[in-house]
Amino acid sequence: MGSSAKKKKEKQKDFTKAKLKVGKAKGKPENFTDTSFKSKGIVLNQQSLTLSAPTSSTQFTHHVSLLSSKSDSQRRDSLAHLTTSISSRPVNSPLPQPVSVILPTLLPLILDANTGVRTQLLKLFRALPPSDIQDHISQLLPYIRAGMTHLAADIRVSAVEVLSWLIDVAGAEVVSSAGGWIKTLNCFLSVLGWHTEESAKWSANRASFGKSGAKGQPMMKVLTVLAEFLHAGIGAPANEAQDGDMLDSGGVAGWEFPLCQTAVHMVPDTAAPYAYLNLFGQPRDEEGEMYETWEDRYRVFANRFLPAIQRGLENARQEGGELGRASSGASKVLKEAVAYGTGIAV
Amino acid sequence: MVKRKLGALEKVEADLPNLQHKIRRDPKSYIEDFRAQHYQYESHREIFMAAPTSATDTGIISLRELIDFVAHVADCYPDITKDFPQQLMDILTQHHLVLEPELREKIVGSLVLLRKKELLDSATLLQTLFPILITTPSKTLRALIFQKILMDLRSSNAKTTNHKLNRTMQTVLFNLVTSDRVSSKGLWAIKLIRELWKRQIWSDAKTVEVMKEASLSENEKVIIGGVRFFLGGDQEREEMEDESSDEEAIDLGKVKHQVGINKKTRKKSRAVEKAKATVKRRERKKNQPHPLNFSALHLLHDPQGFAEALFSKHLQNSKSKLNLEQKLQVLQLVTRLVGLHKLHIMQLYSYFQKYLTPRQPSVTSFLASLAQASHDLVPPDVLEPLIQKIANEFVSEASASLVATAGLNAIREICARQPLAMDETLLQDLVMYRKSKDKGVVMAARGLLSLYRDLNPEMLKRRDRGKDASIGLRSGEKKEKRFGEEEAGGIEGLDLLEQWKEEERKKKRAEKGLPSDAEDGEEEDEDDWDAWNVEDDEDSDDSGGWIDVQSDAEIDLSDSDDEKDARPSKKAKQDANDEENVKSDDTKDTTEAQKPSIANIATTRILTPADLAKLQELRTQAAVDALVPGAKGRRGQTNVSRHKDDPLTAEEIEGLAYLSAGKATREERIAHAKEGKTDRADHKSVTAKRKERKIEQGKSTTNKEKARRKNIFMTLGKARNKGKRSLVETRNVLKAHQERQKRGGRRGNVG
Repeated sequence: MGSSAKKKKEKQKDFTKAKLKVGKAKGKPENFTDTSFKSKGIVLNQQSLTLSAPTSSTQFTHHVSLLSSKSDSQRRDSLAHLTTSISSRPVNSPLPQPVSVILPTLLPLILDANTGVRTQLLKLFRALPPSDIQDHISQLLPYIRAGMTHLAADIRVSAVEVLSWLIDVAGAEVVSSAGGWIKTLNCFLSVLGWHTEESAKWSANRASFGKSGAKGQPMMKVLTVLAEFLHAGIGAPANEAQDGDMLDSGGVAGWEFPLCQTAVHMVPDTAAPYAYLNLFGQPRDEEGEMYETWEDRYRVFANRFLPAIQRGLENARQEGGELGRASSGASKVLKEAVAYGTGIAV
Repeated sequence: MVKRKLGALEKVEADLPNLQHKIRRDPKSYIEDFRAQHYQYESHREIFMAAPTSATDTGIISLRELIDFVAHVADCYPDITKDFPQQLMDILTQHHLVLEPELREKIVGSLVLLRKKELLDSATLLQTLFPILITTPSKTLRALIFQKILMDLRSSNAKTTNHKLNRTMQTVLFNLVTSDRVSSKGLWAIKLIRELWKRQIWSDAKTVEVMKEASLSENEKVIIGGVRFFLGGDQEREEMEDESSDEEAIDLGKVKHQVGINKKTRKKSRAVEKAKATVKRRERKKNQPHPLNFSALHLLHDPQGFAEALFSKHLQNSKSKLNLEQKLQVLQLVTRLVGLHKLHIMQLYSYFQKYLTPRQPSVTSFLASLAQASHDLVPPDVLEPLIQKIANEFVSEASASLVATAGLNAIREICARQPLAMDETLLQDLVMYRKSKDKGVVMAARGLLSLYRDLNPEMLKRRDRGKDASIGLRSGEKKEKRFGEEEAGGIEGLDLLEQWKEEERKKKRAEKGLPSDAEDGEEEDEDDWDAWNVEDDEDSDDSGGWIDVQSDAEIDLSDSDDEKDARPSKKAKQDANDEENVKSDDTKDTTEAQKPSIANIATTRILTPADLAKLQELRTQAAVDALVPGAKGRRGQTNVSRHKDDPLTAEEIEGLAYLSAGKATREERIAHAKEGKTDRADHKSVTAKRKERKIEQGKSTTNKEKARRKNIFMTLGKARNKGKRSLVETRNVLKAHQERQKRGGRRGNVG
């Protein structure tokens, strides 16, 4: 048959021996594999070969750039490296890179999916000098709020931890920054699920929390941070007044009679003293507004959040256990604030 | 601790699509989750708005997903998301230049989604999208936004016309076109309007006004866009309508049958419902009266002003930047307006003077435009020099046949519209060209001849007039139309109706025989009877004179393709006379009797609906007859078959030039000869054709065919088995064989 003859010929072809010819290249062996390839660009994966070791500052910059790496462990290790290099630097020496440079790369890591990265990030934050942070509150807060309302419960918890650190470092700035008061409180209510009457009940479907580790723990943590936040915002005005008094005795305010209210006329000591004028930003709505004084904050709080938080705390107390204990801290702050607020009103 | 109820989201992997699905099913329970995600969106938006250019990839992705999510469930929580549309619009309008493309598309899509959910009104959406459409440099975004705008306008006009929205949108477009006449931004207005016009969503005067402004702009692209709209927009609309009307016909019986057989699922039952609804809707649509659509040219407010502006701005103006092709288009529009509305632009005709030479590029278009521009209210002395020039430049024995054809055709078209523009001597001169050797020229000259036989036979030489025209002249029926004379209006096709009635009556009479005629006893019948009598009388008088004329004309007209030619002219004269006698009876009935009876039927009778229906039928029949090539079809081509609104094209001026010998290459001639013939390549046996058809329809093969196609190796084994058959098997095989022999083979002889 025709076809089989053809096939036979083809089969024969496989076993013919290639003739060697003078001046011609030798034929490729049978098991030859073509390893050539085409590429638009070639990346050399080698380390730069310099004799001297890179300086610590170059290493620092390099690791900052590695923070946006795809691999989790790489990000975590870089963060660890940054943390050690910051904390081990000589006392009172400046950071290898200013905070304003590092921060934009650090902030997205608040929403990082990997838990190790987030814990390491918190360590790094703690290592940063507190005074440098105060000017960057307005950058930090949106990320923290995004973290607090994230779908994943782990991220929510770590965002709350970051907020706790931030309140520690710069409590007054956090509550008085643009959008820092109302929006953050909204996020708290949303994390706790206290927005509406029925969702605050213990029997309500609390789809929003739990799911991470021990059941009560995240809620407890949130409650503690809420207490801190409330304290920073509307709690303990007496202490501040005392601070002010102490300052008075030492500072310009202590100057003699013909000069009064001197502090107001001096050069302001904050980074952005006229931020409340909002000269260059988008126009703000009620939620995004700055509430700089205690009275403003209390007014807004009493109008909007007081009933919801009271109700929520009451329910938490009734639930008892660790949660109830955690809620007691917050309720204490709340009671003081309310007492003070009513006192002022009277 | 009390055992908590587990939320659904705790059990499964929590992601946005999942949450979205859950919210759709039970919005109330998931309000807290939604609130959290909304805050999340707010924070991301804040982060993004703080630095739109330096946003990270992950940030953009999460923002995009959140926008998508919120837009999809926004209708469940209108109070939480009341600011959402405004925020999206702000992002888009402020940052559309720097936004990442996918995010940009997502925002546009989400806005449209919100519009669909009625959380946003059309006007706001369009006012947001339209400025971006005009300003953005991104092509993909423009395409997307254009499509979305169009879709939104369509959907908001789907059920009822949304006058308010249309008005605002048209005002926006009008302002766009008029505000900056130099820029090409007006193109978007044109594109949009053209599309909407095509779909019959916008078909009012205001739309036309926008296009009018566009064609008077300074930018060439915009001008040509506007002009093209007027020249082709309505045709496009008609085509679209045709397309949509004959889109896939649903066979309801087939669908029902399939449902009866196939597995019953909810999806399939829904499909049946849908098919039923479609069929019902189409039925209803069929019964509805046809929507009255005026063409764009008719909707113009001030055609005279528009035509004058176009002419002076783009054609007369020496600074106009248009090239020849574009100028021709403008000229076409101007002349169409002039012809359609019978406008007077006197400079237009002298403008043509310059272009009427055979060497002028695309001169046929100029000729066509000139013919379009002439109507019966144009003073003949304006057209006369033009006709003279065409005759001098184009029509001569020396010029190429193509040129002569074009010239003759152009003259014919002009004269069809204004017969008074023709000079008697010139006409007689031009008619002589029907003796030319070239077929194209012959046809063109004949066209001119037949035109003047119809319009004003007196201008022709006596022997050129032909039978009908001579009779008409004699009876005083064919008179020269004076300048500006208007025919009294009648009902189109009424003569056809009358003719038909006459025939019917005759049939009846023939059935009953003549005496029964009187039994009808109705006035009309008596009238007819009288008329018939009168005709009879005239017949005997006239017939002698008639024959004389005929015998003269017959010799000259031997080359015309009327049915008269079929009669051999060699016949003895007496014979012819006899025939003519018989024939004239028939023609009498149709021609002579018509004049009084048309007036009769219109004035003495009330047309019943049945009459009107018959009238319509006859009219369409006549239209069809006119199209059929043959006896009567060609004669009135210029007058009958073409509608007044239709444009005159350069092809019509070129006419039958392709018939001119020597001009076509061999290939062209072969192609022309092959035209309309079926492909001869597929000569096949009936069986082969049948088989092919079967395969085409996707039908299965018979067992026999399968057996025939079987691989031989599969059958070899069976054949080999023959020796191993048992006795019983062998007997059966033999028996079967014998049986087959009797029957005459496997297929059998019988039946």
